[in-house]
Amino acid sequence: MVRLITHNLLACHAKGCTSNNFPLQFKDVAIEIREAEFNPDFLRGFLARLEWGALVDAARQLGDTSLPPEVPDMLDDDFLKSLHHVLLEIHVEEGAMICPNCQHVYAISNGIPNMLLAEHEIG
Amino acid sequence: MTQRYLFVFAQVHEEFRIPELLSIAELNGIEITFPCPLGELDLARPFMVLGLENDEAARLLARRCILIKSICEFYARGRTYAEVHEENRKNASKWEQYIENTTFKFDVSAYNHSIPQRRQRDIVESFSYMALLGKIEMKDPQVTFVCLEEYIDKHGTTRHKHEGDGKCREIFFGRLIEEGSARSLVKKFDVKKRSYYGNTSMEAEISLLMANQTLASPGKLIYDPFIGTGSMAYTTAHFGAWVFGSDIDGRQMRGKDPPYGVRAGAKRLGRKKPLSVPASRPVQPRPDDQPYVPPTKPYELSALATDLVVLARYMLKPGGRLVFFLPTVTEEYEEVDIHTMLCEGMEVVANSLQNFGSWGRRLITIKKTTTSRFPAPVFEPQGGSEENNAENGHVPAHKDFRTKYFQGFKKDVT
Ligand SMILES: C[S@@+](CC[C@H](N)C(=O)[O-])C[C@H]1O[C@@H](n2cnc3c(N)ncnc32)[C@H](O)[C@@H]1O
Ligand SMILES: [Zn+2]
Repeated sequence: MVRLITHNLLACHAKGCTSNNFPLQFKDVAIEIREAEFNPDFLRGFLARLEWGALVDAARQLGDTSLPPEVPDMLDDDFLKSLHHVLLEIHVEEGAMICPNCQHVYAISNGIPNMLLAEHEIG
Repeated sequence: MTQRYLFVFAQVHEEFRIPELLSIAELNGIEITFPCPLGELDLARPFMVLGLENDEAARLLARRCILIKSICEFYARGRTYAEVHEENRKNASKWEQYIENTTFKFDVSAYNHSIPQRRQRDIVESFSYMALLGKIEMKDPQVTFVCLEEYIDKHGTTRHKHEGDGKCREIFFGRLIEEGSARSLVKKFDVKKRSYYGNTSMEAEISLLMANQTLASPGKLIYDPFIGTGSMAYTTAHFGAWVFGSDIDGRQMRGKDPPYGVRAGAKRLGRKKPLSVPASRPVQPRPDDQPYVPPTKPYELSALATDLVVLARYMLKPGGRLVFFLPTVTEEYEEVDIHTMLCEGMEVVANSLQNFGSWGRRLITIKKTTTSRFPAPVFEPQGGSEENNAENGHVPAHKDFRTKYFQGFKKDVT
């Protein structure tokens, strides 16, 4: 499933593509919203692992503008609820993710991204 | 203050009991006091007397450990009933409160033996000095007193059902706190009952044990890089963790035909023999609209293990765990084999063997003990472990495991 939490961990790994290869840009996406159980402890814990700018940007590409450009000092419930929604409830079902550097297209079908590279693309 | 509890373990996967117990204790912040250093525990015995803070700790453990059959408050043990009764009398303060107004029953049973009904009654009688006044209730009593006889395993020798009755190694007595309820999950996750499974699914019990080693619980994120048909995803999600996974072969997770059997080894992208002319043009999408499936070649096991540890160090949070099965050749395995795959900041916390004879598999649990951040690892197409192996000069016995497996572990094959 391509949730934004997954997207935040994915970089292009094509041969020679080692800089500016993150975050992948969404293209022609179909999204679905599915409710998930809210767990504030998980969110607080995971925050340190997130590339914040990439997350905010990805959410905007999918039409969600609820996240502030910087992580706030106070992690109140409103903020955590928005973060929860963005990270875990938005599912990209179809479409593609494109490397900002080498333009490699990673297709998404049935909610599963194909991150495999063809022969001539492996490092 | 700690109190003593009698742990009754299931008679399977002996080497997995203590690691599981320690994992679930860590998950719940429970402290366990052992009677001796861990290495000296006799794992062949199904009963253990261990120290815990309180009954609640015992309940938490019994509800989550797959290998716990039950936990009792410990009253007495001895080689004879005389010894048991003597100690039990000394511990009267623990059971006096149940003398009046408490319904009760006795559960008398044996390990490696079956006690004839008559003697079972005699055993219950022998506790009459406890002078319990409450009503005996076989169904739903308020307290259950448990008496267990332990017999030496007679290893496959046939004998009469009650032969050697009474000649037990030791007797244990206590009060039931909690029946192990997690064992019933084994049935629940039995792969045959799942509507969707492939042929690489793990047996339910093993995947539950593995899930417990990961400390799966709400608020954890677990990544299975080789997700296959997802038995690990099922069990870890059952315990409340978020799970995501990847696989080099998308057909299984997309629910198409599983293409190969359990013995298929790990793969990496690339060809066994490089093409003489490099394929430099992008491959055109096939007319049948199937996604392009790139060629793969075997991923040598010791290289894979080393890569996995480095990747885990990058991805895990401090204190997080990497858990995986490592197949090993029984005769050749040495403990240092495991250490060849480690890197700074990653330490082995458990290593349990499931023995199949000439080979086996080890459930390895590695913990990230560092708080430092590490850069994303880069994997060389040839396998990144070479420097690592050369550095300490030890070639682990699991190197080229697949080749050895298919050669039947013959020693001098050149
Ligand atoms: C034994 S199965 C995994 C079982 C799975 N973990 C479960 O819980 O059911 C092994 C899987 O690893 C996949 N695999 C092999 N090499 C891989 C690689 N380099 N990267 C990702 N997946 C790989 C295979 O396609 C196969 O589905
Ligand atoms: Zn790229």
